[in-house]
Amino acid sequence: MSAVLLPIMPPLIAAMALLVLRRGSTALVLGGATLSLGGSLWLLTRVAGGQAETLLLPGLPDMPLRMVAGPLEALLTVAVATVGTFVLIYAVGYMKRESGLCRFYAVMSLFLAAMQALVLSGDWVLLLAAWELIGLCSYLLIGFWFQRPEAADAAGRAFLYTRSADLGLYVAVFMLIGSAGTGEIAASLEAGGSASTAAGLLLLLAAMGKSAQVPLQDWLMRAMAGPTPVSALLHSATLVAAGAILLIRSAPLLTPEVLLVVGLVGGVTTVAAGVIALAERDLKRLLAASTASQYGLMLVAVGAGVPLAALMHLLAHAAIKSTLFLAAGDFQHARGGTGFDQLEGVGRDRPWTFAGFALAALALAGIPPLSGFFSKDAVIAAALSAQGAAWLGPLALAGTLLTGGYMARALCLLWRGSGETRPVAGSAWMTLGVWGLAVPATILGLAFGPIEAVLDLPAVTAGTLAVLLGLLAAACGLGLGWLVPAPRLLGPVYPWARRGLSVGGGLTVWVGRPAMAVARGCERLEGRLYEAVLSLGRAGLFLASAGERTERGLFKIVLCVGRVSLRVATYVRFGDERRIDGLIFALVAAVRALGARARNLQSGLIHHSLAISAVAIAVTLAVLLFASSTSF
Amino acid sequence: MLPLVSLTLFLPLVGAVLILCLPKPATRTVHVIAIITAALTLIGALSMWFQGASGAGFSQVEELQWIPAIGAAYRVGVDGISLPLVLLSAVLFLVAVIYASSLRERPRAYIALVLLLETASIGTFTALDGILFYVFFEVSLVSMYFMIAGWGHEDRQRAALMFFIYTLLGSLPLLLAILGLYLGSPEPTFDMRAWIENPPLEGAAAMWALIAMLITFAVKIPAVPLHTWLPAAHVQAPTVGSVILAGVMLKFGTYGLVRFALQMTPDAFREAGVVVLVLGVVSALYGAFAALAQSDLKRLVAYTSVNHMGYVIVGVAVAAITLDPSVRTVALDGAVLQMFSHGLVTGALFLLVGMIQDRAHTREMGELGGLLKTVPMLGWTFVLAAFASLGLPGLAHFPAEFQIFLATLSASPAAVVVILGIAIIAGTFLKALRETFLGEPRQRWQSMPDLSAREWLAVGPLLVLTVGTGVAPSWVLGIIHRTTSALAL
Repeated sequence: MSAVLLPIMPPLIAAMALLVLRRGSTALVLGGATLSLGGSLWLLTRVAGGQAETLLLPGLPDMPLRMVAGPLEALLTVAVATVGTFVLIYAVGYMKRESGLCRFYAVMSLFLAAMQALVLSGDWVLLLAAWELIGLCSYLLIGFWFQRPEAADAAGRAFLYTRSADLGLYVAVFMLIGSAGTGEIAASLEAGGSASTAAGLLLLLAAMGKSAQVPLQDWLMRAMAGPTPVSALLHSATLVAAGAILLIRSAPLLTPEVLLVVGLVGGVTTVAAGVIALAERDLKRLLAASTASQYGLMLVAVGAGVPLAALMHLLAHAAIKSTLFLAAGDFQHARGGTGFDQLEGVGRDRPWTFAGFALAALALAGIPPLSGFFSKDAVIAAALSAQGAAWLGPLALAGTLLTGGYMARALCLLWRGSGETRPVAGSAWMTLGVWGLAVPATILGLAFGPIEAVLDLPAVTAGTLAVLLGLLAAACGLGLGWLVPAPRLLGPVYPWARRGLSVGGGLTVWVGRPAMAVARGCERLEGRLYEAVLSLGRAGLFLASAGERTERGLFKIVLCVGRVSLRVATYVRFGDERRIDGLIFALVAAVRALGARARNLQSGLIHHSLAISAVAIAVTLAVLLFASSTSF
Repeated sequence: MLPLVSLTLFLPLVGAVLILCLPKPATRTVHVIAIITAALTLIGALSMWFQGASGAGFSQVEELQWIPAIGAAYRVGVDGISLPLVLLSAVLFLVAVIYASSLRERPRAYIALVLLLETASIGTFTALDGILFYVFFEVSLVSMYFMIAGWGHEDRQRAALMFFIYTLLGSLPLLLAILGLYLGSPEPTFDMRAWIENPPLEGAAAMWALIAMLITFAVKIPAVPLHTWLPAAHVQAPTVGSVILAGVMLKFGTYGLVRFALQMTPDAFREAGVVVLVLGVVSALYGAFAALAQSDLKRLVAYTSVNHMGYVIVGVAVAAITLDPSVRTVALDGAVLQMFSHGLVTGALFLLVGMIQDRAHTREMGELGGLLKTVPMLGWTFVLAAFASLGLPGLAHFPAEFQIFLATLSASPAAVVVILGIAIIAGTFLKALRETFLGEPRQRWQSMPDLSAREWLAVGPLLVLTVGTGVAPSWVLGIIHRTTSALAL
């Protein structure tokens, strides 16, 4: 087995085994994830030197499926597997009291496998396939509690939003394959050409859907209706990360115009989602909005032409955000919900979890020496040195400020006040999961140097100005968030932010309703068409009934003939009785029978008519054919 | 060597005759004979599959004198376009008779009709003679008419009338086109191979023949605006009728589009290609939107057929328009695979809708609800089939639609707007799943039984093939590709 398959196969096999055995086996799911982590690490050591591993699999004719593992891809598989493993360890505790574990573990494993396939895909078909499969897995996971209406709605919404945006990926892929003549990602990115601006914008659309960028951010908040481990996995290293990964990988293709758009979309999102997070009154929803905001920062870095900075923030964010979500899930079990009024002071009651949460929160805000400090610095430096620095710089700094604000708000809430804390089942598993990710969230900064050395990407130049501005923004944000209540901080924007900054009702109104209106229009047209054809049919039937009347006339004539023959019979009785009588009676009988047949003919049932006409056609055809065969 | 094609073709007819000849057979006997016949037919089709088709022209050709004076003969054979459809028919008819084995109402006539229909279907796909093709084409329509009228649901007379009108209007133009091709041939013959090798008609005559064929096939596919018979017929048809109608008979139209319109009047098709392309795009989008508006589950699935067959039209039209042989091959690969996939997936969906209707006696999504909890097996199989239908990778429709869209973008970029259909269909199925299967389980359906062994046997093979075709499409595409890449137009 090629080393490229090592990160993918264990969770895939685990998923299948779980489905076959129909038992939620902890050993299987954890085994799959751990082996995937081991495989990823091994893959990383093999390709760290720079030579990529490739594998060809049968796919479409002349378009084989291709898997490629260079240093970047291997690094991402390690990130995915690490988060996946610890989230699953955590889930063993978190899901202890749930039923349907077999389904949960199987889909989580499949999700992991699909994400690894996405990271390792070396051609567009495989990438597209994995891209859509993680959409399916998130649908199934967000809708895990499908009996709850809000979960069912959220699942459908998540899939529909991302699928609609995926049309961008489809068309971009077709354009790239069309212009490069190959499905290989690396080759088609180099080919570029006239289509690259359009293709770049379409890729951006797809990434916006998955990474929940404005205006497609709404589904992410609602997806909180799913189990918390799912949120942790979705937001850190899988579904949402896929959008940023796509842009990082396709960065060579993006033209300056596209880069500017990417940066602006990211900048606007980081601020808008940050404001939404600041106004949020539910911890999980706050974290969800924060995810959109942080991916906005990554897009800023890509837009600034420094995908390496985006990658670093992606890695740091993966560890940080999964820690935050896992801790939030622990608080959720302790207090029976994640609303702000439920969570007051829970941090004091769950100190170990709170310590992990606090470390991750400070890391996200960008406090040295935690991982987020380095990655955020890289992003800000990139934004300040970019062509559109006048736009991107302030937006990135505002995003940083807001990050400090909402994280301080969360910390403040968890620390102050008090409430009734319940004992949490499976607490050991959950703490292990939280700390397994809190450690990398803390120390990942150390690894950025070696990573930079291994990857073949343009390096980041972090000046003193960027560091100072970043620190200032983070500190101001933390201070303001801790001291000033959100409604006062946001002022008149607050009520709007509570509504998710939606413009005129959001996408449901702007896209959903017109689509339904068109659908209903089609349905009305259908009714009209149907009636039209039916009346055409009735006209045909009328003609047929006219024909039937003629036939009835004929029938009467036949009867008349019969009566006449009867008369004749009585007249000729005196003649040669035996012969003529016999003949006449035979005639009469024949006529009667004919009459009866004729009655059958006009039974009025269409299918009889149809059968007869079919037979008649066949007979006529046969006669014609044989006639012509003799005449030739 | 055994005449495999003819054996496979006439086996079901033999079964039907046997059932009709037995004096007062028990219901059980009828069903056993039906299943054995259909299984033997599938074995025949599989042997044909393993014999395979060489790239150029037709393989496994069997020929018998019929009416030598006018050049009509019994000629059958297959290539990479018809072989997957023959296999599809054999699979679908087998699962159909398995599903029908619970039928108690006049089973003898019903099963005989189904088997007759199987011969007609396989005959349509394997016929290599114009007259023979037309005969099989017509016989299938008549049998389907009786099935709807005799065993349909509440409003079957109206639906049957609709079907009847379209049947009458629809098939005559094809006869005219066939006669035109016959009269245009240098040596009078009904041999379709000759017509394909040297298209006999040129200029205006070819265009008229093409128009006539397009009318017939547009009714059959069905393409908007000649599709109104489809929802009516599907909703009223018995489940088996729907499965066969959507799974097999709709393919007569698209198969004819490739075999007749594309191969016998290629130049005219190239000229009129844009019109056909627009027809396909409109069909696909209109079908998708109409599906979105439905509240009846069976009608919804019927309209998604209009959408999916619209993609096939797009693929064939692109193949006709493009001058680049590699693009044409991709388009045709996609179009033929789409026919195969649609048969599997829509067949499964109609079976599942039939199972729901058998239990709940309603198809209204609003009245159902929460079924995933009540009948988990049925629910999850429906989820799988629904995601297959909305084109999820790893399931049968994805490779087909991917190739169609890829070729479309290369040949006529504007037509790629048709891709909107996959988002609308996704919305349609998500809405259907939400209303029918998700949410709180309802008290009313508490006692609903889950899938029985018979139902598993019917729907299971289709789902296995759906996944198999999605994960490793090369097992079908290999055979299709060999023919489409050798196609000279």
